[in-house]
Amino acid sequence: MLRQPLSRALALSSPARVAPLAARRYADAVPAQPEKVEVFIDDQPVHVLPGTTVLQAAAQVGVEIPRFCYHERLAVAGNCRMCLVEVEKSPKPVAACAMPVMKGMRVKTNSDLTRKAREGVMEFLLVNHPLDCPICDQGGECDLQDQSMAFGSDRSRFTDIHFSGKRAVEDKDVGPLIKTIMTRCIHCTRCIRFASEVAGVDDFGTTGRGTEMQVGTYVEKMFLSELSGNIIDLCPVGALTSKPYSFAARPWETRRIDSVDVLDPLGSNIVVATRTNEVLRILPRTNEEINEEWLSDKSRFACDGLKRQRLVTPMLKDSRGNLAPVEWEDAVVAAARALRDCPPDKLLAVAGGLADAEALVALKDLLNRLGSEHVCTEHYFPTQGAGTDLRSSYLLNTKIANVEDADFVLLIGTNTRFEAPLLNARIRKAFIHKETDVALVGPKVDLTYEYTHVGDSASIVKDFASGTSSHEVMKRLQQAKRPVVILGADQLKSEEGPALLAYTQELAHKLQENLQDKEWKVLNVLQRTASQVAALDIGYQPGVGQALAAGPKVVYLLGADSGVVTRESLPEDVTIIYQGHHGDVGASIADIVLPGAAYTEKRATYVNAEGRAQQTLVAVSPPGKAREDWKIIRALSEVLGAGLPYDTLDEVRDRLSQVSPALVAYGDVQPNNYFAQARALAQSLQKPVSGKLDVQLKQLEDFFMTDAISRASPTMAKCVQAVLKQKNSPY
Amino acid sequence: MSAARQAIKVGTKNVRPVLSVNHGEAKRRVLNLYKAWYRQIPYLVKDYDMPKSEEQCREKLKEMFLNNKHVSDIRVIDMLVIKGQMELKEAVNLWKQKGHMMAYFKPTEEPKPKDFLSKFFSSNE
Repeated sequence: MLRQPLSRALALSSPARVAPLAARRYADAVPAQPEKVEVFIDDQPVHVLPGTTVLQAAAQVGVEIPRFCYHERLAVAGNCRMCLVEVEKSPKPVAACAMPVMKGMRVKTNSDLTRKAREGVMEFLLVNHPLDCPICDQGGECDLQDQSMAFGSDRSRFTDIHFSGKRAVEDKDVGPLIKTIMTRCIHCTRCIRFASEVAGVDDFGTTGRGTEMQVGTYVEKMFLSELSGNIIDLCPVGALTSKPYSFAARPWETRRIDSVDVLDPLGSNIVVATRTNEVLRILPRTNEEINEEWLSDKSRFACDGLKRQRLVTPMLKDSRGNLAPVEWEDAVVAAARALRDCPPDKLLAVAGGLADAEALVALKDLLNRLGSEHVCTEHYFPTQGAGTDLRSSYLLNTKIANVEDADFVLLIGTNTRFEAPLLNARIRKAFIHKETDVALVGPKVDLTYEYTHVGDSASIVKDFASGTSSHEVMKRLQQAKRPVVILGADQLKSEEGPALLAYTQELAHKLQENLQDKEWKVLNVLQRTASQVAALDIGYQPGVGQALAAGPKVVYLLGADSGVVTRESLPEDVTIIYQGHHGDVGASIADIVLPGAAYTEKRATYVNAEGRAQQTLVAVSPPGKAREDWKIIRALSEVLGAGLPYDTLDEVRDRLSQVSPALVAYGDVQPNNYFAQARALAQSLQKPVSGKLDVQLKQLEDFFMTDAISRASPTMAKCVQAVLKQKNSPY
Repeated sequence: MSAARQAIKVGTKNVRPVLSVNHGEAKRRVLNLYKAWYRQIPYLVKDYDMPKSEEQCREKLKEMFLNNKHVSDIRVIDMLVIKGQMELKEAVNLWKQKGHMMAYFKPTEEPKPKDFLSKFFSSNE
């Protein structure tokens, strides 16, 4: 199958597109490098591989050539002509982004000819570009604005003597996230290339030619992708801007704070733009090992949920059974009384998907001090066999960046497209550029690339593990040099979960044994939430089923909003203490509410699915009387008379490093091992399985609202509506 | 040996006096300042229309002097005396306002909480 146009294949496999060496340790996959050629950029010699473009060679010596259409993560289009440079002995200026270097080439990036060419291109672009910078949302971060200042002419020949007006194009409606002002479009086609290459949605394209050319979807259609927001960042002008952020602020007014996203398990790096103590928007921050420079729509646009449904004051249930606002002293004393009067074995703490490692360790320490061991997470993981004792059993061991190098990916019961959109983008990247093949065991879903659907029965995994399967995928797996097996953690909830994990471990182990590359990790478990890995590292028991059946007297919910703890599943006289930031499922059943801080409001540690610890930073202060989560637990412990021995964040982190040094090794992934031991311990669990694998998030409309923050976000609600509406449209 | 001697020399270095050369003189200056304030109290109460009796003011004066009774360095005592004189001049010349005078009676800043729990309850930190 031809996965990409031939003309693009050359540019895409060029070495500059390869992630830095630190990210990929499997560089031997790249065939032997041919000899380098010497070229001269502004008389500076530089040695580059043949096939490198002039623009990339110039970047190596620090000469940045202006461009609009070129983007290093997308195919080369070469249609904006802004990167024209003079090359000696060439009759015409050449487009640097598309021109491969030749031996002894002498490029002049600042000659008179080059400058004149740029001026000419700028002038043509501006003839058809509206002069609406003052009302344009891109103002201040617009490539066209910046480059017209740097490279444009100082006067215009555009006079419009016939008052015919500039080119005008009708705006398109591509959904509730992206605002289009198509008159501003300069036809760089970055959005089209992103949609078809990265997002895997081939809806965008151009119609017409010359002045009549338009970028759009031909028929009015929503951009149905979980990565759609990225075309806003890609657009060099203000043609595609963010709808929720429209007319909200200028880039120079905002403070930008580096942080980490917690709405999916990957921990994408983000920049939080704030003004007047308000989160205005969230942008991706480049991290080659996690999210490259993309961001999923939920992570990007759910930030308006941080202003809605917030818990801003402590609350206690009054005599009529309604939650009434109280002071912190009263709430903490009430919570302490409930905890103190409860026998330790009737005490239960449940941590939700957005809890940070500091709060997790504080809560566990508090309960341990009270004599209870019942600290659980909402999501289940089998505790039989090695359980959560071996870290490699519950992590994405291959690492996100290395998935690119895989030659066969087997997905078991996971829809990576919606559970971890950027991991899916990586698999798609491997599928397109590296001839990687993908197979899926589970319900048939749209992953944006072609895959072999093996079926949705759990017994398929068993057959793979035992080697009795005659399916073609089995052969491909055995032949693969770098296979990757990704198991969705949701599958482990069921009765057959332990067996499924055991079979997957068996399969991964068998595949791994035959590999030449001993460093390559095959087994991956994809968790569903940002907190799960940290919670398991700290020693939380996965799942609440057993603990709920024991009939607890006091339940402490730390942001547990997924609905697994309900009033119905608990005894009548139970006291529920909810600590968290949103008035969601957890708070609605609580007797005592302690308002905590959301991820943009605290400096906190989150461990992503790979086991990489990262920290969020304080972008805004918590609303109202809300406090940082570990401090609430620390204060509670002192009122209880079981004071926790840390007063500052650094001391909490010392405690974290006592529990596991990996929790404070920010940015690093510790190598995981003991796959063989985990598999050996799980061997007795290999019981027959007969169930069907199902995933929770099947369609795009399921993706947008999955946690307390995104459920509170009006933008996400609009997305769901828009997707459902699009589903009913004839296109 | 010589290094040690030098160190002692540095330790006992003679410093230039601010005003007074010995404790007796410093004490005299303090008492003079005290008396000057004391004599001004009836006028200050009247001029600033202070809702305080002369008795209360004299007590406050005594209290404020005694606040510094632990100070033994002559130079520091002299500095405090100079500052006290400046205050007195401001007060007598009506350069101050009523609020400034009343500020002597009410310390506005509350002590900041020190331990974790009171910090937690008192502020958003």
